[in-house]
Amino acid sequence: MITLRENEYRLLQALAQAPGPVQVAQLAAALGLDQSLVLAAAATLEERDLLVRDEQSYTEYRIDAMGQGFADHGLPERQVVQGLRAAGGSSTIPELPQHCGLNPGEIGQCLRFLVAKGWALRQGKDLTLTPAGQALSDEPGPDEALLAALAQREQATDAELRAAGVDLDAAEALLQGRKGAYRSKARSLRFLEATAAGRQAAPTAQLRRQVNMLTGEMLADGSWRDVDFRPYDMSAGTEPAFPGKIHPFRRVLEQTRRVFLEMGFEEIVSPFVESGFWDFDALFQPQDHPAREMQDTFYVSRPASCELPPTELVEAVRNTHQDGGDTGGLGWGYTWDESLARKPVLRTHTTAATVRALAENPNPPRKVFCVGKVFRRETVDYKHLPVFYQVDGIIIDKHASFASLLGTLEAFYRKMGFDKFEFRPAFFPYTEPSVEIFVWFESKQDWVEMGGAGVFRPEVTKPLGCDVPVLAWGLGLERLAMFRHQLTDIRQIYVADLQWLKEAELCR
Amino acid sequence: MPVIGIPVKLLTERLEGDLTPDELVQHLQHIGCDVEGFATLRRIKCTRCGNIVEITATMDPPVLCKRCGIDYVQHPELRVDLGENHVIRMELLAVRPDMFDPGGLARTLRGYLEQTTGSPEYDLGAPLAHVWVDPAMATTACPRPAIACAVATNVVLDDDFIKELMNLQENLHWALGRDRKHASIGVYDLAATNGKAFRYRPVGRDELRFVPLGYDPQDPAAAITPQQVLEEHPKGVEFARLLAGFEAYPLLEDSDGVVLSMPPIINSEQTRVTDATTSFFIDVTGTNRRIVSRCLNVLVTSLMELQPGINLHQVGIQYGDEVLHTPDFAPQVMELSVPATAGWTGIPMDAVELVELLNRMGHDVEILDPDTVRVSAPAYRNDLMNPVDLMEDAAIAFGYHNIVPTLVPTMTVGGERPIEGVSGTVRSCITGLGWAEVMTLVLTSEAKCFEALRRPPHQAYVSLAHPISRDQTMLRTSLAPGLLETLTVNGHNKYPQRVFEVGETTELTDTQTGASERRAVGGVVIGERIGATEVRAVAEATLRELGWGIRTQGAELPSYLPGRGAIIFAVKDGLEIQVGELGELHPAVLEAFELKHPAAMFEIDLTTLTGLR
Repeated sequence: MITLRENEYRLLQALAQAPGPVQVAQLAAALGLDQSLVLAAAATLEERDLLVRDEQSYTEYRIDAMGQGFADHGLPERQVVQGLRAAGGSSTIPELPQHCGLNPGEIGQCLRFLVAKGWALRQGKDLTLTPAGQALSDEPGPDEALLAALAQREQATDAELRAAGVDLDAAEALLQGRKGAYRSKARSLRFLEATAAGRQAAPTAQLRRQVNMLTGEMLADGSWRDVDFRPYDMSAGTEPAFPGKIHPFRRVLEQTRRVFLEMGFEEIVSPFVESGFWDFDALFQPQDHPAREMQDTFYVSRPASCELPPTELVEAVRNTHQDGGDTGGLGWGYTWDESLARKPVLRTHTTAATVRALAENPNPPRKVFCVGKVFRRETVDYKHLPVFYQVDGIIIDKHASFASLLGTLEAFYRKMGFDKFEFRPAFFPYTEPSVEIFVWFESKQDWVEMGGAGVFRPEVTKPLGCDVPVLAWGLGLERLAMFRHQLTDIRQIYVADLQWLKEAELCR
Repeated sequence: MPVIGIPVKLLTERLEGDLTPDELVQHLQHIGCDVEGFATLRRIKCTRCGNIVEITATMDPPVLCKRCGIDYVQHPELRVDLGENHVIRMELLAVRPDMFDPGGLARTLRGYLEQTTGSPEYDLGAPLAHVWVDPAMATTACPRPAIACAVATNVVLDDDFIKELMNLQENLHWALGRDRKHASIGVYDLAATNGKAFRYRPVGRDELRFVPLGYDPQDPAAAITPQQVLEEHPKGVEFARLLAGFEAYPLLEDSDGVVLSMPPIINSEQTRVTDATTSFFIDVTGTNRRIVSRCLNVLVTSLMELQPGINLHQVGIQYGDEVLHTPDFAPQVMELSVPATAGWTGIPMDAVELVELLNRMGHDVEILDPDTVRVSAPAYRNDLMNPVDLMEDAAIAFGYHNIVPTLVPTMTVGGERPIEGVSGTVRSCITGLGWAEVMTLVLTSEAKCFEALRRPPHQAYVSLAHPISRDQTMLRTSLAPGLLETLTVNGHNKYPQRVFEVGETTELTDTQTGASERRAVGGVVIGERIGATEVRAVAEATLRELGWGIRTQGAELPSYLPGRGAIIFAVKDGLEIQVGELGELHPAVLEAFELKHPAAMFEIDLTTLTGLR
């Protein structure tokens, strides 16, 4: 007993019932299968000697457009003969259209066949019927017979045409060079025939089912063992799938947080609405500094005013601004105005958060950082938004120095994936020395400024009760996301295209 | 920050040796200059008033003189092209006005490159003139009490020098003067005055008349009163705000009544510097003596650098019984601890090495003991307020690029804020459901935050005093406006769309600053055949993953279709807290945000849920 897949089984049964060879085309039609599937099944059966294949070559003929015209109206050279007869046996070529139904072009094209068949003689412009032409009967020549036979059929094989009495060799010789009369093509006929073994095996052959999907049911009853799984085209493409993702910029923020957490920093926060005191005064920012002006900083009308910290601290800051207080410095030499310190603003930097943290606990060793939104009164364009993110950090440590500030910044940017840095002198009112950090962007082939840093001046730390060096930095973060994702417009971050959010790779 | 163009020729001819442009840029960067690059500027001079302007290759020549207002179209012969000038463009470093001009910048570079050492010396001649300061200048009627003056003789005027003087004056006004408020500079032709005795006094608004700079002295109508200067003269109109609240206006004149200027507004035409001028009278007026004195020192030492042949003389300034002599080049003396400098900068050094570094920054230094040096800083330095400023000078001289980066050796324990942990859990939950995180602006408007959402306006939000646009007038109290605006701009993308945000909302609170942030999560789904059930499921999943159950209770909430809104309660151990809301958005809300499909939204206040901010 043999087991066969569905197509093989059905093919074998069909062949076993047929007395002799059956054409593949017929089998395909009978089984409702594509010929290629029939041949695939046949190959398997042939391997097992259950059938044999045979192939017969033949030529297939079809009439063409011009040939159809010849069949309908007769060959033009025959019409010329009739025309010449009507003209008394001869005519000049230009006059010929008057005697037959052909135009000069058709006449021109048929002349060489007329002469070749020996029906007329041409001398210059004159055509004269030969005796053979005079005597030409209505009996069709082999070429005419072929065209007539083809005109009655969609197509015909060479065997069929010969059976119909067509002298194919003569016809093809005559029609050689008459493009558009007919077409012929070499073809083959494939036959399958069951072998004796096949015929013997057919009655007892078992069908093996072929399925698309494995089902729970098949697993439960074990029938998966009796079936075949139809193979898929495993090289075929599929619809793209996108996971739900956190925002590309969020990934930069989270990476930034992770890096500082890894380096032993404690995360802190401060409110968006901040007093002038913490945003500016505690940082020794002079009260007439341009950054404090209305056109650069968002002042708020509600809440109307902020409370100041305990008097002792306010007085220390006042004295520092006015004459340096106990800081060893000279101060700004103006009269400090408490009402400006009470004014609420949207914080202009996250240094407001770190300086607050310093005031809350100035005792070393401490390392804190804040990743947060800051506000500047900027008109929205491709480079500027009124809200953006910064990471600020401070290190309060008696061993801290400007060199360890540079080392910390370098460690941060290395962890963010950069390996070339430049530190350039800069100025900030609250740090000394001050530095700007540039990182090398391979993609831009340029140095890009990432932010500022420095050692807090004694004018900042002393009034807050801190006597050790405090390293501080404030770094921009949007630029990192923009470079990673080749954004040219900062607004793409905050007014995001959902397709971009889908496609932005998590690995960046 | 303004950008200046330092003529390369004027700079390099003051330095020894040949520096390539790259070397020059690198040295400038190492001493703190923010170099933008090289450029070519064309100088155009007004031969009527002597004003020189610089234009780039892409700019058209001026059609009128900005100083005297002459129309070049009618008088083309008065506009003279002085030719091209190759310059280094850099941002002004506001704290180092002594490096604003090629003379001062070269002075710093020469020290840094060890072509000179220590503090440069400037000869100062005996006082040639005297200024009496009316005590009334210190009263509230005319509060501009401070003045510092100098006399410069043997001046040779050429176009380069004039242009550098004009630029320096303008930049000092910006950096030290805060746009003339704290200090304003005047330069006059000494020969146009009696050259000896001057008065600085308040003048009544209509007490006298003078011809302001740029007006035609031949024109009888050109002599105008101080009040008219403020009302009519372009500079008067521009700077009138500086004298707002003044009952009388500052006036500088000689003892014969020749007006030099009405500080800080305008000089007189009569004392204008011309091509024939060989001596300057220079004044700086302002609000305090320290600033005007520093400003004068920066100006006159730079002039000496630009033209070493100048003879500089002091001027006696008489404040009541007190007589000061300006300019005063007495150095600023500070003691500096060597170990503290080494510790602060992280650069190992001894006293000798520190002396070398500070010498290169133009300071004279004396070793008092192995741990202490005494620094005499040049009088033109304006930024030395504290010994740490000298430590920075030492670090710059050493070169930031030569400092070996280290890490603090102390171990500390890091830790994240608990609300960030919660936010991370929420993000991983909702992205796990296939939703996309968005980040939207926290600035919004009443129109978006209340009206468009059909929510009643309340007063418990932060309102901006001077918004920059109508779309950004307040801090958001809900995530809804940003979420829906995201959908507004994504109409071209495939539907359905599912987005969420975890972010801050701000409320007024009884805290020191009067406002605090809360943390919220909100999400919205938009598309055909979507509904409240989907957002409820997401809200439920969010609460579940945070350890809470959910109960929703239908409620008539204005943002949602009637009968399709609900209040979200978080449930745990018999406890129920109201934490948010959800529902199918009202068509009027969809219209307000220009949305073309139905949408459902939820928002949960994580601060209420967790007690964390």
